[in-house]
Amino acid sequence: MLKKFALAVTLSAFAAGAAHAADVVVSSKIDTEGTLLGNVIVLALNANGIKTQDRVALGTTPVLRKAITSGEIDIYPEYTGNAGFFFNKADDAAWKNLEQGYELAKKLDYDANKIVWLTPSPANNTWALAVRNDVAGPNNLKTMSDFGKWVAGGGAAKLVASAEFVNSAGALPAFQTTYGFTLKPDQEIVLSGGDTAATIKAAADQTNGANTAMVYGTDGAIQAAELTVLEDDKNVQQVYAPTAIIREEVLKANPKIEEVLAPIFKSLSADELRKLNGKIQVDGEPAKSVAEGYLKEKGFLK
Amino acid sequence: MEETLAVRKLDRLGVVLVTTGVVATALLPFIYVKANRIAAGKPMLLTQLLNQPSALILTILLLATAFAVLFLQNALLRLVVATLCFAALLATIGFAASAFTPPNSNAARMTPGGGFWVLFAVIGLVVSDALVKIKLTPWMRIAALVAYTGLLGIFLASGLLDDLSIMKEFATRSAQFWTEAVAHLLLALGSLAIAIVIGLPLGILCFWVPKLRAVVLQGLSLIQTIPSLALFGILMLPLGYLATHVPAAASIGIRGIGAAPALIALVLYSLLPIVANTVVGLQGVDPSVRDAAAGMGLTRRQILTGIDLPLAFPVILTGIRIVLVQAIGLVTVAALIGGGGFGIFIFQGLGQTAMDLVLLGAVPTVFFAFSSAVILDAVIDSIRGSAA
Repeated sequence: MLKKFALAVTLSAFAAGAAHAADVVVSSKIDTEGTLLGNVIVLALNANGIKTQDRVALGTTPVLRKAITSGEIDIYPEYTGNAGFFFNKADDAAWKNLEQGYELAKKLDYDANKIVWLTPSPANNTWALAVRNDVAGPNNLKTMSDFGKWVAGGGAAKLVASAEFVNSAGALPAFQTTYGFTLKPDQEIVLSGGDTAATIKAAADQTNGANTAMVYGTDGAIQAAELTVLEDDKNVQQVYAPTAIIREEVLKANPKIEEVLAPIFKSLSADELRKLNGKIQVDGEPAKSVAEGYLKEKGFLK
Repeated sequence: MEETLAVRKLDRLGVVLVTTGVVATALLPFIYVKANRIAAGKPMLLTQLLNQPSALILTILLLATAFAVLFLQNALLRLVVATLCFAALLATIGFAASAFTPPNSNAARMTPGGGFWVLFAVIGLVVSDALVKIKLTPWMRIAALVAYTGLLGIFLASGLLDDLSIMKEFATRSAQFWTEAVAHLLLALGSLAIAIVIGLPLGILCFWVPKLRAVVLQGLSLIQTIPSLALFGILMLPLGYLATHVPAAASIGIRGIGAAPALIALVLYSLLPIVANTVVGLQGVDPSVRDAAAGMGLTRRQILTGIDLPLAFPVILTGIRIVLVQAIGLVTVAALIGGGGFGIFIFQGLGQTAMDLVLLGAVPTVFFAFSSAVILDAVIDSIRGSAA
């Protein structure tokens, strides 16, 4: 009796994971933007008569990479800059430019795995600094060059950031060298495992006097926290542009996918993504309805 | 005279509970009023809500419960007062949430604060203490669990709690919630069933062959020390290889991601308590009973099924109880490798600093773990009771 029960439970658990071979398996990372873009892809493909299987919010980046290279999923949104880490070429200068980084990622992933990088979005979800509006406004801070001049001239910036951001050569040290400023130790609050959700909250609440936060360019909480993202006007950071990536085999079977997704991803600017991520993160709307609302508003969905 | 008597009879647990409740009510916020999910929020103490009738009734009932816990000996009376107080607590948080929610706002969040959770725990302990003192039979304990779950269910179904932050998160994800609930329970129960099918014979074998026992138990202990996320990660590689190179394996659902690695990892974790408890249970059987049975001409198999296993069963069941409660908690991590379950809400909530969403995953997980512990404890006690 118990054995039969065990078998039944096991089989049904497995059945839930099994896929229909013909459907396009759409997946995404488990974070806010991943879930949003995953839903955008599902809705857009369904609306254009391409059958999908929804495996959105599957897991972390390594899980997604393993899943697509082993053929368990067919399409998911990835970031151009991440390709540098997949192929152990993180030091290449190409990653600091959207076009070059995209071309390099496309070539590397196609040669190695027959994975096609579709049209990227013009947004950049990379490390950036964001300053409280009540500090940025009076001091006229819009770009990192402005920020560098302000801090070098004695501006009272107090940065809250993760240890990784403060210490890794490509992050804060690169910003300081390029924009000619130095933060004193008492101008830094370092959170050892800090993510941007924590740093944004700290700057918004002025925890320990923080007025500048490490953020990702398209974080949804930035607007609600009344922060201004400073433009990286000298391209210090690598570009992380969201791009749908798909297995060649599946794209050949459904060639329409490229033309369906290209205009949608082109329309997703950093401002749009911040706004949409904010609806999910700050207002608590489900990712699916936010994605649907956006596609309808832009006329991609009827 | 009467007072000294009362003081002497003061329940020590009662004093601790009442003190905790009073301190929490006075110092910790009962509810946070937040403009949106990630805003800091304005803390409100229960004492600041007294202009609302329900909060007033709650305060009176809290005082009555404190009195009952400290001075009343009759457990049934305590139970009634505490249950009323429990209902008033839920009603008050619901009314308070509705009162502070601005009209037409979907973004505002009313989150229960530390004061609410401490009172919830304290009243819960008063109720369970009273239930223990009433000395319910095992089956009545399960009935009590069903009754209190029903009470909670009535509050949830009535819509009274709909303005509460957790319920708002639930409302936007109700369909997904039930899918994840089923996935969560299937993974926990499925891994338990497989672990029993493998673990029980392995335990019997270990009891018979002492050399094997040391090796198996040490090996299984070693597995227990691997952090769950790492074990999930380790399993992804061989399973992924199997799925891509053996089509038959892939067709029955064995994959590097999803339910398969989660299920296997959970089974591996579940084996130690089952095998160890089977061995301990069998060792606890009096050898003279076994000798007598052998003397009467029973075969080894008859001794096992007729004597050893029935006598060892309560101990084995204790192992199963440990495994089930442990598995229900561990399944949350499976969300990171595509296994589904309530962990989805927990990890999405952590990523968005939306603690309300984290609670939507955590509270049902705790509820399932708690309920299964109560039910299996009752089953174990009833078997022990009938055997004695």
